[in-house]
Amino acid sequence: MLESEYQEQNRFFLNMGPQHPSTHGVLLIVLEMEGEYVLDPQPVLGFIHRMHEKMGESRPCQGFMPNTARMDYVCALPYNHGYVSLIERKAGIEVPKRAEYIRVITSELNRVASHLLWLGAYLLDLGAFTPILYGFDDREHILDILERITGSRLTYCYYRFGGVYKDVDDKFIEATRAFIKRMRKRYVIYEKLVTKNIIFIKRAENIGIVSPDMALRYGMTGPNLRGSGIAYDVRKNEPYSVYPEFDFEIPVGEQGDCLDRYMVRVQEIEQSLRIIEQALDRLPDGPVRSKVKKNIKLTPGDCNFAVEAARGELSYYLVGDGTSTPYRLKVRVPSYSNLSCLPELGRGILLPDLVSILGSFDLVIPEMDR
Amino acid sequence: MAKKKDYKNDFLHQRFDATETDYDQRGYHLEVVLDVNQVRKFAQTAYDLGFYIVFVAGLHVRPNEGHDKGNSGLVVVYQFARYDQLYRIKARVSVPNTLEIPSISDIYQGADWHERETRDLYGVVFDGHPNMKPLLLSEEDPDFHPLLKEEKKLKSLDEISWPSEAPEVAKGEAEAETGR
Repeated sequence: MLESEYQEQNRFFLNMGPQHPSTHGVLLIVLEMEGEYVLDPQPVLGFIHRMHEKMGESRPCQGFMPNTARMDYVCALPYNHGYVSLIERKAGIEVPKRAEYIRVITSELNRVASHLLWLGAYLLDLGAFTPILYGFDDREHILDILERITGSRLTYCYYRFGGVYKDVDDKFIEATRAFIKRMRKRYVIYEKLVTKNIIFIKRAENIGIVSPDMALRYGMTGPNLRGSGIAYDVRKNEPYSVYPEFDFEIPVGEQGDCLDRYMVRVQEIEQSLRIIEQALDRLPDGPVRSKVKKNIKLTPGDCNFAVEAARGELSYYLVGDGTSTPYRLKVRVPSYSNLSCLPELGRGILLPDLVSILGSFDLVIPEMDR
Repeated sequence: MAKKKDYKNDFLHQRFDATETDYDQRGYHLEVVLDVNQVRKFAQTAYDLGFYIVFVAGLHVRPNEGHDKGNSGLVVVYQFARYDQLYRIKARVSVPNTLEIPSISDIYQGADWHERETRDLYGVVFDGHPNMKPLLLSEEDPDFHPLLKEEKKLKSLDEISWPSEAPEVAKGEAEAETGR
């Protein structure tokens, strides 16, 4: 038998998903395999495509608010934030300082919740069951805090054009401070349980290395990019809201493997806590919502607004035509660009490594499919 | 962060139609209007200068009017930005009646999915793309493009552009009229 024929016989296709647990949702990856090795992984998207952009173009701009939370359901508040800021930039709406502080506090709480969920889910992908229970325990505290003021636990619609829906009270501040204190103690547990675990390190170190050039070609952003050593964070690079007033660092990795991406996210939790702490200390008094006309006119012309969501840069691009309905609303979501490097990154690796890479990318499928 | 650099001249040297814009108002610094045969050169220039790709998107306007004369009415919008400093570029290209524009997915591999998505939603075909299959929408109905607007809802490119560009057009038209 010829060698090429032998190879042909050993090649096969494997469908990973759309119900595979480590794809974190309905993502299908068609793998061309040879034995245990992946030759060509091709993601197939669109299982939960809802055409949010069309919905954004068919109703007045206020009506799109609930949609923003339904794209990235794990970290919905930055999506709220980007959209309200976009309309505020376009329509020239002023936001009271207190509202901006509340936005930052709640967004960062949501980011911590998202990173905790990712931590648990990633470790679950790698076969460790315990961390997700710890992660969900901590996350539950955040959800309780946010539920009290926003009224929902997952798909928040808390921000409004010109402010936020409801003011925070002392109980919220107290609970948030208590959570920060608790979370700092929990680090020690995570460190012992996960970060120094030799089995975890073997599954993550030197796996799925993303070079800076590759990140640039694919437009990767967020912790996945920072793992490769590029300190790019929209909160610092393109400051929005009141982020410039806070002192925080951007954790970066060294070589861009799964372990670096893990370390960046874990360190980011601490940085988010620092931002929340400073914002609580300096929380100004005043109104939380400015008076905004009911009928917001979007003047002709295009406008872009980028925020840092938990997974990277989220850009809203809007084209106005003088009415209150956007003529065009494009949502640039981070996971979409982050995952698009998989066919290149996953060529010639072992199948268990692919699971590790997918987990370390922190994918949220409804966000990619929109 | 590295020191601020203005990239306008880098693009002007390459003979691109680049205009500086008001960042506070629009959220990007440079607007580039491209011709179809400039798309690949533009992408290569952006890559050489170290920009990363943000997105590729479509836009449907009323054809054969103003700036967009002789085109299909579809516009493709590119956005690029930098990791090391705050600088965003928006580029747009009007798609000719053949609905084909060159793909940049071999320069920026990340454009691959964005271009496939634009084909899904608008029907723009990217020439030279290795895998122009539906991505988000179903493969059974490749001719269904949900973001194409109804005839009566279409607006011309001038109606949805910033007013600062409008006087130039008005001036151009006025000159054309006096010429007659």
